[in-house]
Amino acid sequence: MTGPVPSLDRLPGEPRYWYAGLAVLLVAWPLLFGDFWARIGLGALMWIGLAQSWNMIGGYAGYLDFGHGAYFGIGAFATGIAMAQLGYPFVVGFVLAAVVAATVAYLVAVPTLRLTGAYFAIATWALAESIKQAALVTGITGGTFGLSLPRSSETFVGVPVPFPISEAFFYYAMLVLCLATMALTYYLFERHEFGYRVKALRDDQDAAESLGIDTTRVKRQVYVLSCVVAALFGAVHAWYIVYVHPNDVLAPIITDRMVIMALLGGLGTLTGPVVGGLLVFLLERLSSVFLGSTTFYLPLIGILIMITVLFAPSGIIGILRGEVDRADVRENVKELGEKFDLL
Amino acid sequence: MVDIGLFTQIVINGLLLGGIYVTIGVGFSLAFGVLEVVDFAVGEYVMVGAFMGAVLAPILGSEGVFVIPIVLVVFFGVGALIQPLIHHVTTGDRPHPLLMGLVFTFGLATFLRGSVLTIFGPNNQDVPSSLLTGGVTIPGIGTFPVVRTVTAVFGVTGLLVFMYYLYRTRGGMAIRAIAEDRTNARLMGININRYQSIAYGAYAALTGSAGVFIGMTFTANPGMGLQYTAFAFFMVVLAGMGYLPGVILAGIVLGLTQSFTAVYISGNLVLLVLFAIIYVVLLVSPAGILGKGEWAT
Repeated sequence: MTGPVPSLDRLPGEPRYWYAGLAVLLVAWPLLFGDFWARIGLGALMWIGLAQSWNMIGGYAGYLDFGHGAYFGIGAFATGIAMAQLGYPFVVGFVLAAVVAATVAYLVAVPTLRLTGAYFAIATWALAESIKQAALVTGITGGTFGLSLPRSSETFVGVPVPFPISEAFFYYAMLVLCLATMALTYYLFERHEFGYRVKALRDDQDAAESLGIDTTRVKRQVYVLSCVVAALFGAVHAWYIVYVHPNDVLAPIITDRMVIMALLGGLGTLTGPVVGGLLVFLLERLSSVFLGSTTFYLPLIGILIMITVLFAPSGIIGILRGEVDRADVRENVKELGEKFDLL
Repeated sequence: MVDIGLFTQIVINGLLLGGIYVTIGVGFSLAFGVLEVVDFAVGEYVMVGAFMGAVLAPILGSEGVFVIPIVLVVFFGVGALIQPLIHHVTTGDRPHPLLMGLVFTFGLATFLRGSVLTIFGPNNQDVPSSLLTGGVTIPGIGTFPVVRTVTAVFGVTGLLVFMYYLYRTRGGMAIRAIAEDRTNARLMGININRYQSIAYGAYAALTGSAGVFIGMTFTANPGMGLQYTAFAFFMVVLAGMGYLPGVILAGIVLGLTQSFTAVYISGNLVLLVLFAIIYVVLLVSPAGILGKGEWAT
């Protein structure tokens, strides 16, 4: 599970040409295809980044955080409050989002990470819901009215900038943030010693402890890091959408999506959230465009999760890497059939 | 000043609500004990039950009560067939089997909510009932709304039948044995597949029919599931996972908390208060406030 970025290596030809081609495509995307596709692209990049942020705590560390979306909302509201209530430019809001999310995440981490497994999942889920309910009744978040953010040339850094704050601008903002998240994940979790500590505590906490790893400290670091990443995406999203409301940015569906994307792609892998993120995001978009239904992707996603968990627990990446092949699925189906022996 | 009449009325409403919550909580707690899975789909069973009421009641002469037997049978069957799937994902050669069970029910919940939302749209649907209307007023105490009273009676009866099965029959003994130790139960010759399916099916049937009653008391809405998942978690967290007598107490506490918060503080704060209590109890005393729950990972 520790290999480098795998999937592109299998394509014919020299891998670096593929990487170069991908890089050119990503950079030229909004210029080639226009605003509509820039919007689709920036949405996909945001969700890939968010799925990766969940993957840090949920996949690499094995702590199922069912309230991760709260930090996306905290980031969005930190930016919203800085810009709409206090009149600061976006960069201040962006930094504030990171600081607030890190503080909240640390304060939450100290008691909550003592819980494990299902208890951790329920506690984070309850916490996220109470944050949402609290945001609906307090004044500074705009309560049930939400907040409207200013979006003009001065609101980026405080003085007018020589480029328009357009779809393309937000596309590049998300691209930079998403690539930074990927690079950070690759470096920290796949290359650095830190990643081995995290995986060690996921696989066996007592064994990791006995090898001298301060598991409490490592868990807190992963949790805070993953929450700050989610908050930064929330910050950019808030400014892009120029309106934040608790029912939008703190909705439980945000956590649901992150979990689903990471799980479907493959937990604890670098490329899993990319594959899962793209797939789920496109499924959602396409079902709303072609079927005219904005909710039809939900049952589809639900079925996909169930099938993944049943037959391919290592996700799509596991299938691509050959960890799960036809014989495994057949074996799985056979074992499942035996459990239907009810009478 | 506290109005005594209003106060007793709130207590009545709270107790009657608690009666139906207990039904959900006991099944949920048992499913946890037997399958060792925390079922994120519990609220969605309530929701689907309420929608079955909304759809079938107009066919059956606008009477929600007649839907109950159908819901009991259908949910028992469906639950019995879902159980092997959950059992499969929580056992066998796979990383983090318990977390996989959690994620599986999470997927199931998403599937159920999404399907109902797609088919019926986001609006409220009524579950009509002509038998259960009005209320019985007892002078000096307060009014007992018929629908809530019947709901509570159903909840308590369902609970008693279920408890009788669990503690006074061979099948119930088998289920309790599985909850105690699955491997040993199997070595004693218990068909664990069958009894797990009975337990999960009974839980689904109780929860689904509770949904019909909740639909008749309030209304059916695709988004209502989350609230009842929260309620179920609240009850088992407060009682301690897998500790049945505690659930009964917790359900009553829940009903009273809900009706008092709604009247004296604000309806908007009910969920905030509940979630905050879940979070704090989990941190302070994860085995429940009575300290008799089992510790699971």
